[in-house]
Amino acid sequence: MKGGDIVAHLVLFARELRRLGVAVGMKEEIDGVEALTLIDLLDREEVEIGLRSAFRIRPDDRAQFDALFAEWWVGKGVPRKLIETDKPAQPSSTARESSGSRESRDPVLQDAGTEELRSGEGNPGYSDRVLLRRKPFDEYDGDDLKAMIVLMRRLKLRLATRRSRRLVATRGRGVVDLRRSLRRATETGGDLVRLAWRKRPVEEPRLVLLCDTSGSMDSYTRFLLSFVLSLTRVTRKAEAFAFNTELTRLTELLSGGDVLRILGRLAERVPDWSGGTRIGGCLADFVGRFQRTLVDTRTVVIILSDGLDCGEPEELARAMRSIQRAARRVIWLNPLMGDSRYRPLARGMAAALPYVDHFETAHNLESLERIIPLLAA
Amino acid sequence: MRPEILELQESMERQGYVASREIATSVYLAKQMGRPLLVEGDAGVGKTEIARVMAAIWDTELIRLQCYEGLDVNTALYEWDYQRQLLQLKIGESRTTDSEQLEELIFSRKYVLERPLLRAITADVAPVLLIDEIDRADDGFEAFLLEVLSDFQITIPELGTIKATHRPYVFLTSNRTREIGDALRRRCLYLFLEHPDPDKEIRIIKSRVPEASERLAAEIAFFMKELRGRSLARVPGAAESIDWANAMVHLHRDHLDRETVEQTLGCVVKDVHDMRELGPEVIEELLGRVRQELSA
Repeated sequence: MKGGDIVAHLVLFARELRRLGVAVGMKEEIDGVEALTLIDLLDREEVEIGLRSAFRIRPDDRAQFDALFAEWWVGKGVPRKLIETDKPAQPSSTARESSGSRESRDPVLQDAGTEELRSGEGNPGYSDRVLLRRKPFDEYDGDDLKAMIVLMRRLKLRLATRRSRRLVATRGRGVVDLRRSLRRATETGGDLVRLAWRKRPVEEPRLVLLCDTSGSMDSYTRFLLSFVLSLTRVTRKAEAFAFNTELTRLTELLSGGDVLRILGRLAERVPDWSGGTRIGGCLADFVGRFQRTLVDTRTVVIILSDGLDCGEPEELARAMRSIQRAARRVIWLNPLMGDSRYRPLARGMAAALPYVDHFETAHNLESLERIIPLLAA
Repeated sequence: MRPEILELQESMERQGYVASREIATSVYLAKQMGRPLLVEGDAGVGKTEIARVMAAIWDTELIRLQCYEGLDVNTALYEWDYQRQLLQLKIGESRTTDSEQLEELIFSRKYVLERPLLRAITADVAPVLLIDEIDRADDGFEAFLLEVLSDFQITIPELGTIKATHRPYVFLTSNRTREIGDALRRRCLYLFLEHPDPDKEIRIIKSRVPEASERLAAEIAFFMKELRGRSLARVPGAAESIDWANAMVHLHRDHLDRETVEQTLGCVVKDVHDMRELGPEVIEELLGRVRQELSA
C-alpha cells in the first residue's frame, strides 16, 4: 500500500467506525495517521494497537473496533460493507457532538417560559397549576406536559444546594485567602487590615434516572418519561435510561425538540415499549455497563417503577446493593403507592426495598414535587 | 514489530514490569508523538507502575500529582510562601512605603513554592509527570489541566508566564469512576489495561516475588481468574496477587489450601460483602476448579 492509499483507507475506516456509533473525529484521524508513520506497517497487531491508542477506543467500543479492524486491515481490498451501506450516520454519534448547548436552543422551554409569563399577569393560571399538580398522570395530555416542564424548571433553584469542595473568592465569611490578603496588605504598609476570604461554591447535583416502561406501568409511562425529560433539562448532569426487557440509554435521545415528538421518538427507539419487565436483569446490565462512570458519591439515583419484576429477586437485590453502595442516595418512585390499597408485596419490590433510601409515591405532580429536596446532592 | 518497541518492552521487563505489546507500543507512540498517555483500567492493574518504570528506564525524576476531589491550583501548581512574604513585608516596610515596590518585593520567584505541575515544567531534565487518578479531581481542574498540557506553560499573575524548558513525559491514570472529558481525552493517546490472563499473571508474580514457587504462582494466578469471574464489589488486581504471593512466602507456604486461603484472603478481598460471599464451601469449590485447570 502506498502512503496516500493508507491515509485514504484510514479515513474510510474511521468513517465506518463512526457509522457504528464509535466517536472518532478528525483529531483521532490525524493522530491515527501520525501513529502509522511511527510503527511497523507490516505488523498487523502493531497497527491495531497503534490505532486503538490514537483513536482512544474506550473499552465499551473495543469489540466493535476489533471486529471492524479484522475486516478492514487484512489486505482484502475494499470491503463489502463500504459499498452496501450508504445510510446516514447513526444519530448517537451526532447527538453526542451537538448536545453541548442543549438548553439555549430548546424550543419547548422557551415557548413554555413565555406562556408562563402571560398567565402570571392576570393570574388565572394559579389554580390551573394547583389542579395540574393533583391530576393523576394517566389523565395527562400534551399541554399538561408542557406546563409540567415549566413547573419543573422552577424547581431548578431548589436543586442546587450542595457545596463544592473547591474554594472560590467571596466577600466575607469562609476561610482567609492569604494570597489576596497579602496583596491588599501591600497597600496598607504590610499590615493585614482587610482580609480576603474564600469559600465553597454551590454545586449542581448529578442525577441518574432509570424509568420502567413496561406494560404494568403503561398509563404512567409517558408522564414519567416527561418527568425524566424535564429533570434532564434542569440540571446538566443528568443521565436517563429506560428499561423493560432491556436497558436503553436515553440521554442523547432526550435532547432537542418538542416534548411530544421526543416521546414519539422514544417509543420508536425503546425496544418492547409497554411489554413485560425484567427489572433485575436491566439493573444488573446498568451496573455492569454504566455504574462506574455515571454513579459516584455525588449522584442521586432515581428508579421509577412499580417493582413488578418477572425475573429473579436475587438478581435485583444484588444490583440494588451495588447501586446503593456507589450512589449518594437511591430513591424509588412507585406510581402504585398513590393507590392506598397498594402494599409493596411484589416480589421484586420486596427484594429491592432494603437497598432503597427513600421509597416514595409518584402518581401526580404534587407527589413528584415532594421528592425534589431529596435530589439535592 | 519496530525494534525500538521491542527494546522498550524488554527494558520494562528488566525493571520488573511485565509489559504486553500493547503497553510498550502505546508508551512508545506517546513519547514519539509528544503526547500524554491516558491509562485507564481497574484498580491494581498496574497503571501507576508504568510511570514509575518509565522514569527508571529514562533515568529521570518521577513527579507525581495525586488527584482528589477539591484539588485546586494551589496544591497542583504553586503556592506563595506566606510566612516569608509576611516577614519580608515587615522588613521592607521600614525601607519603603510605596505599595507597588512592596508588591514587587514579596511577589517574586523567591517566594513561590513549587507544586508538582510547576516543578515538572521547570525541571532541568525532562521528568516523568504522573497525574494519578484524574477521575477523582473535579471537572474544573480537568479544564485547567488541559490548558497546562496543551502549552506546557504556566501563568502566575504576579510573575508572568513560565514556559517549560523541557516537556515532561506525561502519564494520566483513571479508574473510570467517571468519564474523562472529551477535550482532555483528545489531548492524549489512550491505553486501556485489563486484568492479566493467568499466564501473564504468573510471570508478574514470578518477576515481583521471585521466592514464590512455580506452583504457588500458578495457583494464585488461576485462583485470581476464578475470583474475577465472580461478581465481586471490589475486583482484585495484579497488585493484590503480588501482595498475596508475598504473604504466602512469609508464611512459608508453597501452595494454596482452604485453610491458608481463609487466613490470607484479606490480602485479596477487601470488601465485607465479598468476604461474606466467599465462605469455606465457595473457597473449596474455587480451589477445585483451579486444580482442574492446572492439571489440564
